[in-house]
Amino acid sequence: MSSEGLVKKLPNDIGGDASGKIERVEHELLPWEKRCHALADVLDFHKIINTEEKRRGVEALGSEMIGKLSYYERWIVAFANILFQKGILTPSDIATKMAEVEARAARQLKSHPNG
Amino acid sequence: MTAQTIAQTVVPALGEIPDFQVGDRVRTAVRFPVGHYRLPTYLRGKTGVVERVIPTMGVDNEEEGYGRNAGSKGHYYRIAIPMTEIWAEYKGQATDGLRIEVFETWLERI
Amino acid sequence: MHVENHDHDEPGHDHHHDHGHSDPHEEISITELPGYYDMLETAVRELLVERKLFGADEIRRQIEVLDSRTPALGAKVVARAWVDGEFRKRLLEDGRKGCEELGISFYDDTQLIVLENTPEVHNLIVCTLCSCYPRPVLGLPPDWYKLKPYRARAVYEPRAVLEEFGTHIPDDVEIVVSDSTAMVRYLVLPMRPAGTEGLSEEELAALVTRDAMIGVIPVEYQERAA
Repeated sequence: MSSEGLVKKLPNDIGGDASGKIERVEHELLPWEKRCHALADVLDFHKIINTEEKRRGVEALGSEMIGKLSYYERWIVAFANILFQKGILTPSDIATKMAEVEARAARQLKSHPNG
Repeated sequence: MTAQTIAQTVVPALGEIPDFQVGDRVRTAVRFPVGHYRLPTYLRGKTGVVERVIPTMGVDNEEEGYGRNAGSKGHYYRIAIPMTEIWAEYKGQATDGLRIEVFETWLERI
Repeated sequence: MHVENHDHDEPGHDHHHDHGHSDPHEEISITELPGYYDMLETAVRELLVERKLFGADEIRRQIEVLDSRTPALGAKVVARAWVDGEFRKRLLEDGRKGCEELGISFYDDTQLIVLENTPEVHNLIVCTLCSCYPRPVLGLPPDWYKLKPYRARAVYEPRAVLEEFGTHIPDDVEIVVSDSTAMVRYLVLPMRPAGTEGLSEEELAALVTRDAMIGVIPVEYQERAA
């Protein structure tokens, strides 16, 4: 395929593509996935990231990430990228906060070793 | 003045009146925007009929994708396209069809 | 269903404890470290709350909204349309207003077109570009609706797709596939099964499944043997 195809047809634009049998899979959302969905809605309500920007952000991840990340993994990574583009957050803000979140979780794990 | 004569004095803004009406024959454009688009490629350059004018006007969702949340709005149309128009080798009945909402910038009259 | 450690799980706890300690998560006991994306979500959300772009209560509220949206709402709409011809007319004219009449709000700025299945026409909904779905009336879509095989194939071989769901559509029935892409969402109004004349509206609603309102299966009714 010429490289033009990669530009002209977004990786999410799959209507009419050859594909396999439909497996009727479903799963109860994990707590973080549900929070991520609620986050998406609230970001749209405030037009911090509208729904269409979210879609664009997911498409912009490229076919490899779209293929390998799960649905809400794509959303949260797209949100981070869009927030960087808009100058609302920086990668270092997120890195620092994630370290904090991890340390907090580690403390909780220690204080409740048996869950 | 009666309600009807008052309505006759109203001047709609440019763009408020839909360009297409139910039953109009239209063709979707063949073009390849970069970055974000909302007309799937399998429906480019296809001929169909306007089945409904979506009553709520909206921002062009391809611009919305880059953060334009307000400003001038346009019309979306629900377009009926026969499956046999889309797929040369369609396995089904000739009456089977597809419906999609298309923003006005993608449509031309035929 | 509680998906988070909602503070009202703890009796006597102040529901609005936003005084300097806005993080309900400190109190959760956990058995393993959260995964990378889980922590990324927490980090993004907490940073935006700290910057006062929205409140933590808004996320909690929206989780409750999401939990309250299930296919039972759509089923209620369908059953009402089956028993009340005037309502059915209004619903087909303006799906959103019809649902709002029954108290179902639209929190996401979408419109709704209700597609009526008849002996002549069978409707099926899909979103090939992403995963548009009538969330206010059906809740969140199943995974298969969001995965490639359904999204890719529903628009070019709907009859084969329906067969995979065990649904055979006769040749003289027209199939209409609606590919959802912008502000309009779709809900299929399935055909009322034969033999249900004596059922109450509530009993009818209990027959209506999510998949029937997506259009991949019909509503079935097995008359109980006396």
